[in-house]
Amino acid sequence: MTPVAAKMKRGDSTDGGAASALGSRLSRIDGPAKIKGQARYGLEHHPANMAYAVIVQSTIPSGHIRAIDSKPAEAAPGVLLVITPDNVMPLKPITTWTGAPSSDKPYLALTREINFTGQHVAAVIAETFEQASEAAGLLRIDYEEKESIPSYDDPKSGAGNPLDAMAVAWGDAGRAFAEAPVRIEQTYRTPREYNVPIEPHGLVAEWQGDMLTVWEPSQWVNFMIHNYAEWYGLPDEKVRLISPYVGGGFGSKAFALGHGAIATMAAKMLNRPVKLAVTRPQTFTAFGGRPATRQTLSLGATKEGNLLSIVQKGANETSVDGVWVEPLASVTALMYATPNLSARQNIVPVNTVTPCALRAPGENPSAWGIECAIDELSYEVGIDPVAIRLLNYAEEDPHAKKPWSTRRLREAYEEGAKAFGWAKRNPKPRSMRDGHHLIGWGVAAGTYPVRRTAGEALVRIFADGRAEVASSGIDMGQGTYTILAQTAAEAIGMPVEQIEVKLGDSALPGAPVAGGSQLANLMTGAVHKAATAARDELIGLAINDPKSPFRELQANTLSIADGVISPPRGGESMSIAELLRRLGRDKIEVQRDTLPENANSAADKLATYNTITRMRSPTDGDYSLHAWCVHFIEVRVDEDFGTVRVSRVVSALDSGRLYNPKLAESQWKGGIIMGIGQALLEEGLVDPRQGRVINNNLGDYLIATNADIPDIEVISVGVPDFHASALGGKAVGELGIVGVAPAIANAVYHATGKRIRELPITLEKLLGD
Amino acid sequence: MSKPLKIKLHVNGVARELVIEPRVTLLDALREHLNLTGSKKGCDQGQCGACTVHVDGERVLACLTLAAQVEGREITTVEGLTPDGAELHPVQAAFLKHDAFQCGYCTPGQIMSAVACIREGHASSDAEIREYMSGNLCRCGAYPHIVAAVREAREALS
Amino acid sequence: MRDFTYARAASVEDARRLAQQSGAMLLAGGTTLLDLAKCGVARPDHVVDITHLKGLDAIEVTREGAHLGALAKMSHVADDKAIRAEFPAVSEALWQAASAQLRNMATIGGNLMQRTRCAYFRDPNSFAACNKRQPGSGCAARGGITRNHAVLGTSSSCIATNPGDLAVALVAFDAIVHLGDRKVPVDDFFLLPGATPDREQAIEPGEVITAVSIPASAAARRSTYLKVRDRQSYEFAAASAAVGLDLEADGRTIRDIRVALGGVATKPWRAHAVEKALKGKTLEPETVMRASLLAMEGAIAQGDNHYKIDLAPRVIARAILKVGGLA
Repeated sequence: MTPVAAKMKRGDSTDGGAASALGSRLSRIDGPAKIKGQARYGLEHHPANMAYAVIVQSTIPSGHIRAIDSKPAEAAPGVLLVITPDNVMPLKPITTWTGAPSSDKPYLALTREINFTGQHVAAVIAETFEQASEAAGLLRIDYEEKESIPSYDDPKSGAGNPLDAMAVAWGDAGRAFAEAPVRIEQTYRTPREYNVPIEPHGLVAEWQGDMLTVWEPSQWVNFMIHNYAEWYGLPDEKVRLISPYVGGGFGSKAFALGHGAIATMAAKMLNRPVKLAVTRPQTFTAFGGRPATRQTLSLGATKEGNLLSIVQKGANETSVDGVWVEPLASVTALMYATPNLSARQNIVPVNTVTPCALRAPGENPSAWGIECAIDELSYEVGIDPVAIRLLNYAEEDPHAKKPWSTRRLREAYEEGAKAFGWAKRNPKPRSMRDGHHLIGWGVAAGTYPVRRTAGEALVRIFADGRAEVASSGIDMGQGTYTILAQTAAEAIGMPVEQIEVKLGDSALPGAPVAGGSQLANLMTGAVHKAATAARDELIGLAINDPKSPFRELQANTLSIADGVISPPRGGESMSIAELLRRLGRDKIEVQRDTLPENANSAADKLATYNTITRMRSPTDGDYSLHAWCVHFIEVRVDEDFGTVRVSRVVSALDSGRLYNPKLAESQWKGGIIMGIGQALLEEGLVDPRQGRVINNNLGDYLIATNADIPDIEVISVGVPDFHASALGGKAVGELGIVGVAPAIANAVYHATGKRIRELPITLEKLLGD
Repeated sequence: MSKPLKIKLHVNGVARELVIEPRVTLLDALREHLNLTGSKKGCDQGQCGACTVHVDGERVLACLTLAAQVEGREITTVEGLTPDGAELHPVQAAFLKHDAFQCGYCTPGQIMSAVACIREGHASSDAEIREYMSGNLCRCGAYPHIVAAVREAREALS
Repeated sequence: MRDFTYARAASVEDARRLAQQSGAMLLAGGTTLLDLAKCGVARPDHVVDITHLKGLDAIEVTREGAHLGALAKMSHVADDKAIRAEFPAVSEALWQAASAQLRNMATIGGNLMQRTRCAYFRDPNSFAACNKRQPGSGCAARGGITRNHAVLGTSSSCIATNPGDLAVALVAFDAIVHLGDRKVPVDDFFLLPGATPDREQAIEPGEVITAVSIPASAAARRSTYLKVRDRQSYEFAAASAAVGLDLEADGRTIRDIRVALGGVATKPWRAHAVEKALKGKTLEPETVMRASLLAMEGAIAQGDNHYKIDLAPRVIARAILKVGGLA
């Protein structure tokens, strides 16, 4: 296990030190721009002579377009161009995020073949947004419809395709289950869920010669410029993507998508800048959200509650022309010690847009299954839900058979239970009531892996006493700007106010995806390395440069604090600015990466920043690296109406060291709140005939409002984990949501005696007896 | 095609002239014509609150308001909340202090809504704040911090 | 959104005149008109802005009742002290509708002209069949996702739910819609779909709603609006009830009772059968619950919305018992 020195920072408010130091609760430094309305998001750039594009989507789920009559649209006032499958510019195929070629055929952003309702089929570009919107409604599209499969509940979909690569097995799970004294076997389901960041997708594209500039929200600047560059057969340097602010992504803004191809080609065809904003309804099919999932879990146990076997058979929807795997065994095969386990998964092609990542893909639905099932088992054997989890506590990674780097899950149960008052819980369902409200307490655990990719940062210290940190990595609200300023301030020894952080621009040093909850850890590591090197260079100059006043001290080293350089044993101090002036230097500039020294060529960097091939798995190395959490949740269920409201949440989380607890807590709570919406509200409703997501808007696809959310208490139980990352942090952003939905379902069972195994837990599922 | 309208909008205390089609919404007039992008477009159909601005001191949705319709009224956007620009409005300061936002995209709408919520007298309890701030969706999940910020700003403004 | 002309009405007379143009629509709050114009459902050629008309936004409460100018904002009526005292159900229906911003825009008159939230109605690009939009084209909702559709008042041509909250309270308390000099009881103002679901309100082209009046009553004074929905706020009702109660001096015998339902019917739905069953009876839970079931007589489920038949009587019963001090 990891040795953790007592004096090491835990990353909580007890860290001490300067108010701005790493680990302190500094307010976000990009905050003022956001609260004053000065932060410019992607669609808020307005190059001269800009035209507006509006997309048209298919209204059939499967078939092909016989004909498109675009003449009425072309004749409409202000219309400059109509792009259809007939005149779409063929683009070159791209390399996917796994580093594999997507295809050997040209990429067509619009095709006559229709594979799902809501597929882009045309775009209208006009002088104004209003003109483009109106003309988009004038296209006459003649479809020939084919039989379609609207969802995996349609018998035509069959069982789907087995994914042997996703299978996990040890022991003889089938036999152990069959012979187990206690058996639970249930199916748990989650519906299609959507990212719905409040900033919809879209971009402004401008060509200047063969140089493309794109203002577009991005979770992965380097991959997206690579996508654009490959489409147009350009080197990456010919594409600049600018994304300093991202209005939420949650997994949906990492790739250049069809609308990006359309806007950039429209700009090229018209030779003028084009803005394309995907409408809110269109966002439901312009990219995929979390696929629908189902999993049958069979738990075998002793009468005392010791797990003997876990058998999982899972499936998720995918599209007919793409593959998305929602890894359903990711928590199942990790959370509990079991001598036998078997997990298999199918993907079932249906006529939908290819699903994609939504906060904790895999872990989220995986925890939904196992954390409900273990709760069911606890009632079956008559053991407290926390106790049964501790009884089956995995002391090491049961799959990889490696020790955990850190796993403060026991502490999470202990501290969470204490803060929640779990000990006072009467285990009997329907044992608590307040008027018409049945009250229930539920618990569930969650986990998210620590993903590791190398990064790179540029640090400049200027003669005016300021410093600058630069990276193409992005901040979509996680707090990247702030923690990188804190990291640099601490490493150099400067006030954080003097540090400017530049992010989200492909002209800056590269970074891998802001996804998989990895960016904070990898970027603090890179910035720390670069800033430390800059500080060392500064001290080296101070000691050795003939113009330096410190030279005569013959010191081995100097200290820097608060922007002031001081000799080790007293003597005159001097500000960094003053020293640089004396030396006649306008700046010190250092760029460092954290790639392995034997693999840091330009090609290695591209592979690191443009693909996920260099991302290290959580079990690569001697340890298994994961963040952990436990949610204790109280619900109030109106016994007549079946409405469920969450009234109390206490979550204890182990994300290792927190670089800024104020911001980490916000992310945890954000995950928990999204989890509350997932548990109670969110569900893509698909018309069974036409395959359309009919609640494709924010009035009908319900996400939680302010009134749905109680105060939430989050407790950090983590300790620095230097196996996990350079500065000791583990995953934060995606951890919080994992386990929330099962904790709520378990609380609903405790309140009502009704076990709901299909999300969301809407009132009709609780009405009746 | 109908004749473009020449209208004069009073935005943040300044009269701004523009020539637009009658169907241009206040939100698009602000964002696409007046270079005031603080008001955000999240849904363009009255379902998210990101475009909240004040018209004659009351909070409304700019996406369901025609620009022509508010000629002659006083429009305030987030950019005009602190006209001198020197200091933060107490609501803005409280949002920063309580980390009442993450991505920041719903934030101008939340702030404009919060200023009005307090002015209306609908911030007397946490429950009331939650209800009267529910017209502003936040996908990052900053709600508890928004409630804390509104509560604190209410005190500062009273 | 299609192109249209814009004109500001200088007076109610002017508004009537402008509204008679072919393809003209009135803009009061804009929350329905612009929303539906963006969906491609409303296709006005001329938008007549009545938001600047003077003298139509009064909120007056006298011994006879309330007189609400058609341009009074929902938020202002909701917060009006006299309305809250004399017509609590009206205030509660208003503040639980939409959001604070929308209530600052939407007007009392405009709110009565609100259209259904039926997803098939709202998406003409995807679903050609909608008798409400295009008479005779069919009903795409049947056989589709019907979780939010009506169980009462449906016809073979339409199953769309009326989304109103305020209208439910108005129907309960016999409000009158003023179309200038013409006065229409609100229950008659809303039309059943029948074979003409395109016609939702009894208003003629060129007519302008000028006011809504609500007669004072003991039942209105002791009233509530209970709205049940998946989300705590900013959502239409799964089922709602406006209920008013007047008890005899004994404090137990029901002298007068008003019950209307929202979220379950094709129009704001007065539950006369429930009222009749309870008048003269003693207010007690068992009686109330049994009587509330009568509201669902004739209800037809469409599949996904069967739960409304179970839910609505419970909402009614809870609302009655709540105003009666028993819940």
